[in-house]
Amino acid sequence: MRLYKKEGNIIQILSFPNENVEKGDYLLIEDAEAQKALIAQVIDVQFANIPGVLEELLRSLPDGGGLIQGEDIDPLEIAPHITYIQDSRLLICKIRATVEGEILSPSTSWLPSRSQSSVRKLPIATLLKLAKVNGNLPITLGVTKENSLLTIDASSLDGRLNIITGKKETGKSHLSKLLITSLLQYKAVVVVLDLNGEYTGLGLTSDGKRNAYYNKIHVLTPAQNFKVALKQLHLNVILNILIHALHLPGTSAREFRRIWQYLKDKGCLTLHELGEAIRNWNCNQNVRDALFSRYHALVNSGFFTDNVAEANLLEECLFKAREEGGAVIINLRNTSPIDRQIVVEYVLGKLVELLTSWRLKAVFLFAEEAHLYLRETYWDDIVTRMRHFGIFTTFITNQPDTIRENIYRQADNIFLFNFTNEHDLEVVSRAARVDAETVKSIARDLPPHHCLALGKVVRDFPIVVKVRALDVKTMGETRLFFTGSRAEGVSQAFPTASGSFGENS
Amino acid sequence: MIEQYTITTTPKYNFPQTTIDTALPQRFLELSLHTLKQVQNQTLQLNQQTIQQTFNNTNNQETLITQQLVPPTQPIPLNPKPEPPTTIAAVDTSSIKLGETSKGIIIAVRGTTIWKKAKNYAYLRIGPFIFHITEENLQEVYRTLLKAYFPEQNPQASPSFLQIPMRMANLLEKWLQASLAKTMKDSLILFDGSLTAGTADTPTQQLKEILAAARSNGNTVLAFTKVTTLRFNGCLITEAFPAHKPPCLIEVTNIKPKPPLTLLGEVYVAKLARGNYAFRLDIDRELPTQKRIEAVERLLGNDLMMHGYPETLRLAHILCTFTANEVIAMQHFIQQRYRLKIIERPDMHRLLFGPFGKGEDHHEVV
Repeated sequence: MRLYKKEGNIIQILSFPNENVEKGDYLLIEDAEAQKALIAQVIDVQFANIPGVLEELLRSLPDGGGLIQGEDIDPLEIAPHITYIQDSRLLICKIRATVEGEILSPSTSWLPSRSQSSVRKLPIATLLKLAKVNGNLPITLGVTKENSLLTIDASSLDGRLNIITGKKETGKSHLSKLLITSLLQYKAVVVVLDLNGEYTGLGLTSDGKRNAYYNKIHVLTPAQNFKVALKQLHLNVILNILIHALHLPGTSAREFRRIWQYLKDKGCLTLHELGEAIRNWNCNQNVRDALFSRYHALVNSGFFTDNVAEANLLEECLFKAREEGGAVIINLRNTSPIDRQIVVEYVLGKLVELLTSWRLKAVFLFAEEAHLYLRETYWDDIVTRMRHFGIFTTFITNQPDTIRENIYRQADNIFLFNFTNEHDLEVVSRAARVDAETVKSIARDLPPHHCLALGKVVRDFPIVVKVRALDVKTMGETRLFFTGSRAEGVSQAFPTASGSFGENS
Repeated sequence: MIEQYTITTTPKYNFPQTTIDTALPQRFLELSLHTLKQVQNQTLQLNQQTIQQTFNNTNNQETLITQQLVPPTQPIPLNPKPEPPTTIAAVDTSSIKLGETSKGIIIAVRGTTIWKKAKNYAYLRIGPFIFHITEENLQEVYRTLLKAYFPEQNPQASPSFLQIPMRMANLLEKWLQASLAKTMKDSLILFDGSLTAGTADTPTQQLKEILAAARSNGNTVLAFTKVTTLRFNGCLITEAFPAHKPPCLIEVTNIKPKPPLTLLGEVYVAKLARGNYAFRLDIDRELPTQKRIEAVERLLGNDLMMHGYPETLRLAHILCTFTANEVIAMQHFIQQRYRLKIIERPDMHRLLFGPFGKGEDHHEVV
């Protein structure tokens, strides 16, 4: 490999066919005289612009486009050299850092010698060692292309905002499960807003047996084993639910505050009493109607109860998790969109309440497709205010444009799976911790279950990793039409059709 | 004495016959390896302006223009004759200077024969042969090659450094032409250039033998000159007859070349396609007139004409020409195999004249 060109922080390296370099690989460009080296990452592999190649391709095609049959008597065996030159490649690389001795610095202000520098592949394991990507709380994400383990430090997720994104069925949920279970090993408190009930099997192995996390996984299904008594609710929380989830106007909210205060003073904060109070409250008819419609929404959600005994499980689970670590899975699978928002408002309100009163130290929040239940103002809250309370969020989505741009800008870690859509890549490339070219070029070619880890977890050295397998029960699978007996029935009904396909294939 | 090497050329040829004397390519290879052996561990200055030469005898025509040409009577109209199906074959060679060493130059030579049967083209490409030519071995190399193919010929003055690439290509071209003449049957053989003999490049006897061999196998040799200097009334013969409607031939008679030059072909202006493209065409003059005209008609009926030029000959030229990539590959080969150290001397033309530097064409000829 030879250093060819440098423009900005892009470096071009000429590589020959026998040098096996691929996108995502790291190269070390060493200048012995300067006693420094550049670390660059290959973000694209192109054919080198060799003069005469077009002529060679054209001359093998006469009119009509077919190949001319012929024989070459090449006694000196020049042909392999021609092929060698023809197949030479240009590696487009991004400069990531400078190494001086054993010290890494992000400086790229110097230029290695073009004629004297040596270029060689830098094994990922060596890079990780140099960059000190390990730490005291290791989480093994998987293996790199070179079959070395990629182990990140759990503390690089602590206090951070993370995004896991990629198109459908590329392994996003699998990675988030891996992160959750790994955090549990370090006694972390995790809350998962589980849209499709995918995380409910975290405590079970793939064959349905209990695994090591069984006792740490608490699945809460709203209106089933997860209910709240009005008595235990803070006025702020219920007002947030009414205003943000149920869109109660300001005037009505003021009346509701009075009603709530009145019932609280009387010591009879129950659903029944609340309904009666709204009915008999001396207020404008429109306000009454507005309050009634919200009241019925609350009642119909099934999430609220007057029975204190069956309520307040969330707090209980969180306190249990506080001691030995644990994950509270809020199963939103069969919950309507409005009810989902009610539940999420409650959960987040409760978390803030517990964290501000220091009854909880910190919580890792995993939110799948958050745009389906998170209100607008929460996005900013999560990246600014809630971080200081101790809520460290990981967003998981296959629609990257549903996450606002400022979230990407402030994301500390991004785990990027395959995307082919230009628009999606464009959105993700706005992340501050990585350049757009890297995202667009590498993410497009990622195979399933491979992710590009970006950000603090890899000390800003983007690394492609094949996420390791996890022995947990897969839940929330897509329901299929052509499965089991129906598929068999179809094949029996049309035996010739399927037979002929078999022959052809 | 040049030592013998155990390396031989591939014995498999695509020619219909196997009666070809392969001594010349054998010698080419031997000499190539021999001369390259002497170049090991030297420095190599890559050619700064790559000049590619395909063999033609344009220079010989300069001596023909002084003759007064007789105006032609009438153009000869041509009717394309696809029947009987005729194989068209063509030959071309090219040479290139790859660089300079402290002692001499490194050149490469390659030749191609191509033939079209029915609708299919096929080719045989020989080379590249790479030579390291020095003052010391220039004569030896050239004479050895000349002797290998043409033992009876008295070697004339050895070519200069400047001429050697073209002369070597010419030797290979003559061998390829002879091979085609001997192996093809009832075909049309297309040469690049003219049928003017008696030059250092083309001894009369050599060309006569090639033409005779072709005739004895029922072949007709047609030689196309892309750029001619022959003039009629001060006008280039290829531009002198714009009114004649193609396809037609205009016979150019009464050309009396200065001795020792000899014309072994009848000279025509060939206008074979629309668009006012005309070429000088030499056809073996030993053939009767009718057969010469019929040969052109068979060519029209059996080959594609691109701008009035036969596709087979065009492909022969294209396939033997060295592309820039091939030049790099050959330089890579000699650098790797013979450990030549490439040096970069300043290009004096570029240095002195910047964008006005004209390259090697303007080098002083010593």
